[in-house]
Amino acid sequence: MVVLPSLTTQFIFIYLPLIWAVYISFYNWNMIRPMRYIGLDNYTRMFSNESFWNSMWVTFLYIIGTVPASVLIGLGLALLLNIKWLKGRGIFRTAFYIPVITSMAAAAVIWAWIFEGNYGLMNQLLSAFGIGPIRWLADPNFTLIALMIVGVWKRIGYNMVLFLAGLQNIPSTYYEAAEIDGAKTWTKLIRITVPLLSPTTLFVVILQFIASFRVFVSVSVMTQGGPARSTEVITFYLYENAFRYLRFGYASAIAVVMFILMMVFTVLQFRISKNRVHYG
Amino acid sequence: MRKPPPIPIRLIVIGAIAVVMIIVNLPFIWMLVTTFKTEAEVFRIPPSFIPTIFDLRNYERAFQIVALDRYLLNTLFVALSVTALQLVFNSLAAYGLARIPFRGRKIVFAMLIGTLLVPPEVTMVPLYIIVRQMGMFNTYRALIVPFMSSAFGIFLLRQFFMTIPKDLEEAAIMDGAGRMRIFWSIILPLSKPALWTMSLYVFLAMWNEYMWPLVIINDLNKQVIQVGISQFVSGWEVQWTLRMAASTVAVIPIIIFFLFVQKQFVEGISISGMKG
Repeated sequence: MVVLPSLTTQFIFIYLPLIWAVYISFYNWNMIRPMRYIGLDNYTRMFSNESFWNSMWVTFLYIIGTVPASVLIGLGLALLLNIKWLKGRGIFRTAFYIPVITSMAAAAVIWAWIFEGNYGLMNQLLSAFGIGPIRWLADPNFTLIALMIVGVWKRIGYNMVLFLAGLQNIPSTYYEAAEIDGAKTWTKLIRITVPLLSPTTLFVVILQFIASFRVFVSVSVMTQGGPARSTEVITFYLYENAFRYLRFGYASAIAVVMFILMMVFTVLQFRISKNRVHYG
Repeated sequence: MRKPPPIPIRLIVIGAIAVVMIIVNLPFIWMLVTTFKTEAEVFRIPPSFIPTIFDLRNYERAFQIVALDRYLLNTLFVALSVTALQLVFNSLAAYGLARIPFRGRKIVFAMLIGTLLVPPEVTMVPLYIIVRQMGMFNTYRALIVPFMSSAFGIFLLRQFFMTIPKDLEEAAIMDGAGRMRIFWSIILPLSKPALWTMSLYVFLAMWNEYMWPLVIINDLNKQVIQVGISQFVSGWEVQWTLRMAASTVAVIPIIIFFLFVQKQFVEGISISGMKG
């Protein structure tokens, strides 16, 4: 059967680990000593652990800081590139997309240099306005902001392309009718574009939300969760527990909670937006 | 259709977009400029956007300190292997799901697509254990085997296969062609654009992969480029000229490649709307 090889690999490498993650989360296990069943201990320990709540809080802040910015900037760029008389649209689109196709690891190395405290480009530019110097990657008040800037920068091109595709789907007859009625550009934007774009917007928000929730590479390369746990997002907390402290059971409990949260948020966003989204 | 606005306004809009474009790509420009500076020049205030040295000495030293050539070859090998395997397995599965009626087809399709909802971070720990128990820890196989097929690729190809008119196949069946023969001589040749788009995505995703190689590969000889450039060798972290040279090596080939194939790429997102 032709589907079988794919189905088997997907089962072994995705569903089996998913089920197993739930299973291990009820055990105490570090790969050295045998597994020991401890019931819900991993979960109770997790929910009473300050580090866990810290990582949830940091992730929450990161999501709040990145989702609106990257969605709105992506939308703004898409609207600009969608202007009819604009020339060189393809070049602009490609240029805005370059951060998306480059690896986050390399981008994070570059940004670490830009955010360098003494000679980094960011502080040099800010000093022209009399700001700084800010120790971006050493001051716990600024590290998360630095990571947010990187996260937004990396995603705006992707969101822009999704919005551009959404804009193409709005029938031009709406605009023509509005023009006959003498509608201004602004009116058309608010009355036609924004409502008819809402399914795309919902889609972009959900994808961006999930992407922000999963932030890992920039943290791993730029800050290692520090300083003072100020950038220890949930994925990095999971990674550290699993591969630095070899607490596989505990790490799996974190993974299970992460998975449930992502599912709940996705469903919630669909529900909440259901009444507000217009399917033209 | 209304007239476009007067030329000055048009120029302002285009100018604004161009400025944003430069800002967005400034990190890459800054990376390149840094690789053509001396170690002392990097720490000069105010910084200059004009390179001072016009040779590749920073690149040479970066290659000496860190085995970039090795990482590049490893990454290329892994990414090409995965792409080749996915071409085979995804197209077969997509064909089955698009064309061959069988019991439970809908369930199988739903199960495959369902994997897209499972973030890799969630399955990482058990996957690590499974791969270790299969004896693949620290091997290239660990980077290849778990990614032999992907729901994203299957979905993309299935959608494309379903747009191919059935008449062609019916004619072939009349001539006595079997399923595999139809797949090989009708479906695949007609699907070249979709196969190409999928290959680009898979290759790029594997080239940029960081998290999984970080946990499953301990042996630096087998490490991939993204982990290689972000590791901390003593003294390395402050030598920004060298680190930027290493990043350039990891990034610029992909950007140049992308400029050639960007059309298929960006259109691929609009088709699938997936895979960030």
